[in-house]
Amino acid sequence: MEGYLDARQISKTFGRERVLNDCSLQLAKSSTLSVLGRSGSGKTTLLKIIAGLETADSGTITLDGTSLYRVPPHQRGVVYLYQEALLFPHLNVFENVAFGLRIRKVPEPELRERVDRMLGELRIQDQARKSPNHLSGGQRQRVAFGRALIINPRVLLLDEPFGALDARTRGEMQEFYRRIAAEFRITSVFVTHDLKEALLMGDRLAVMEGGSLTHYASREAFVADARTGVAAEVSFWQHLQLKNHE
Amino acid sequence: MRRRGIPWLFLLLAVGPVVLGLGYALLYSLGLVGLLGRGFTLEHWGAVVRSADFWGALGLSTFIAVVTITLSTALALAAVLRWQEHTLRGLRTYAFYLPLALPATVMAFLIFQWLGDAGLLSRLAFALGLTNSTTDFPSLINDRWGTGIIVAHTLMATPFLTIFLANLYRSERVREVSQVAATLGLPPGRVARRLVIPLLLRQGRSTLLLYAVFVFSSYEIPLLLGSQSPAMLSVLTIRKLQRYNLADIPQAYVISVLYALLLVAVLLLWLGWSRYRRNTALHEA
Repeated sequence: MEGYLDARQISKTFGRERVLNDCSLQLAKSSTLSVLGRSGSGKTTLLKIIAGLETADSGTITLDGTSLYRVPPHQRGVVYLYQEALLFPHLNVFENVAFGLRIRKVPEPELRERVDRMLGELRIQDQARKSPNHLSGGQRQRVAFGRALIINPRVLLLDEPFGALDARTRGEMQEFYRRIAAEFRITSVFVTHDLKEALLMGDRLAVMEGGSLTHYASREAFVADARTGVAAEVSFWQHLQLKNHE
Repeated sequence: MRRRGIPWLFLLLAVGPVVLGLGYALLYSLGLVGLLGRGFTLEHWGAVVRSADFWGALGLSTFIAVVTITLSTALALAAVLRWQEHTLRGLRTYAFYLPLALPATVMAFLIFQWLGDAGLLSRLAFALGLTNSTTDFPSLINDRWGTGIIVAHTLMATPFLTIFLANLYRSERVREVSQVAATLGLPPGRVARRLVIPLLLRQGRSTLLLYAVFVFSSYEIPLLLGSQSPAMLSVLTIRKLQRYNLADIPQAYVISVLYALLLVAVLLLWLGWSRYRRNTALHEA
């Protein structure tokens, strides 16, 4: 099967440590693949290789049938979002969102119209002139999404984007992302170490363990695999419930 | 209650002596106190404002501060762009930290040895046949453009600003931010101009301004390497204060008050401008 984004047999070694071991990943257009994995399992390295920020030792990556080999990051149309929003601290919210359009020399009236519309979609239009350090964590992540979405990226790579947020804001942002993913028909890889988040965000599911990626054909297959931790989680809550009844 | 009083006590200790000193200087300059005080007069203020020495000193001090901060910032930025987060690693650490241990007087003396009329550069030029005698070498010490002062200050400011900007590069996570910018479409050739330089300058602007103020008001280096006329403002002030002519002392106080007013005006303008930018202006990327 060939996907819109198709990475095959990607391997990467840092020093003596093999971080990725023949990883393959297929992703259909306008869908989200959730990748569940512990810290140090190689998730970030895989995303960075897809974005062109790291080079793979071996393997191939194609996007919409075209090889990304030797295509520099700025020409891939693949936007990588970190756990922290990493906004440009010297620019206000409006200019952060406008950044990609200014690089592309979009005429000023069109740029203003598009940025205003995006800020409205993200429900942060009243924050346009604020500096990033005057925003809350959730607002900063919204700006980071706006900055990425405004250039219509071919693929969005999300590296635990809500990991630094508190539980309530995290829930709000998960809902927010599901809304914009449907609205903008985003093709994305969503990396997380949170089981619930992986299940909520992904159309398809995969687990990264020891540098290898396992795809699941269905949600049921994901739940059934002991490595995902779903069974252990269910057992924990059931056990807790029984204890309370006693 | 006790906690509420602490900031006021701190303010009193920090600002009080300065305000009292300035108040005394103002009264002295108006002839209201001091040995020669004969009642209120604007004579000393008029003498300073009409004096070519004062305007020459003000112009030279501003020129030296602007040129020094521009040169040293450019050099520090070049170093940080070249070595990025590795700027303060290995032998480079010594290269940037050691010059900070040099007192200003020693730096001035070293520059004097190098750039003086019969200095090392002059002798080197003569030895290489570039000049016919050591006196042919252009005078870079005590010249009217303050070349020696600029060189000395630039040599002291560059390591300091390099350390400052290198730390800013790390704390602002410029490497990761640049990677984000790359995935947003910024080509490698434009990363420095469109992202790193504006980011570092914007985040470090207060420190750069304070260093410019430090150079503007420096004393030892201009005293040893500067010309008699125009002299830098600090040298002119001390010269007037220590002259045998006691009538010049009130003028020294006038210059001190003018200097303080100028700095306060610059700082207020800076704060106002920053607030204006933050609230209203849209920054061009």
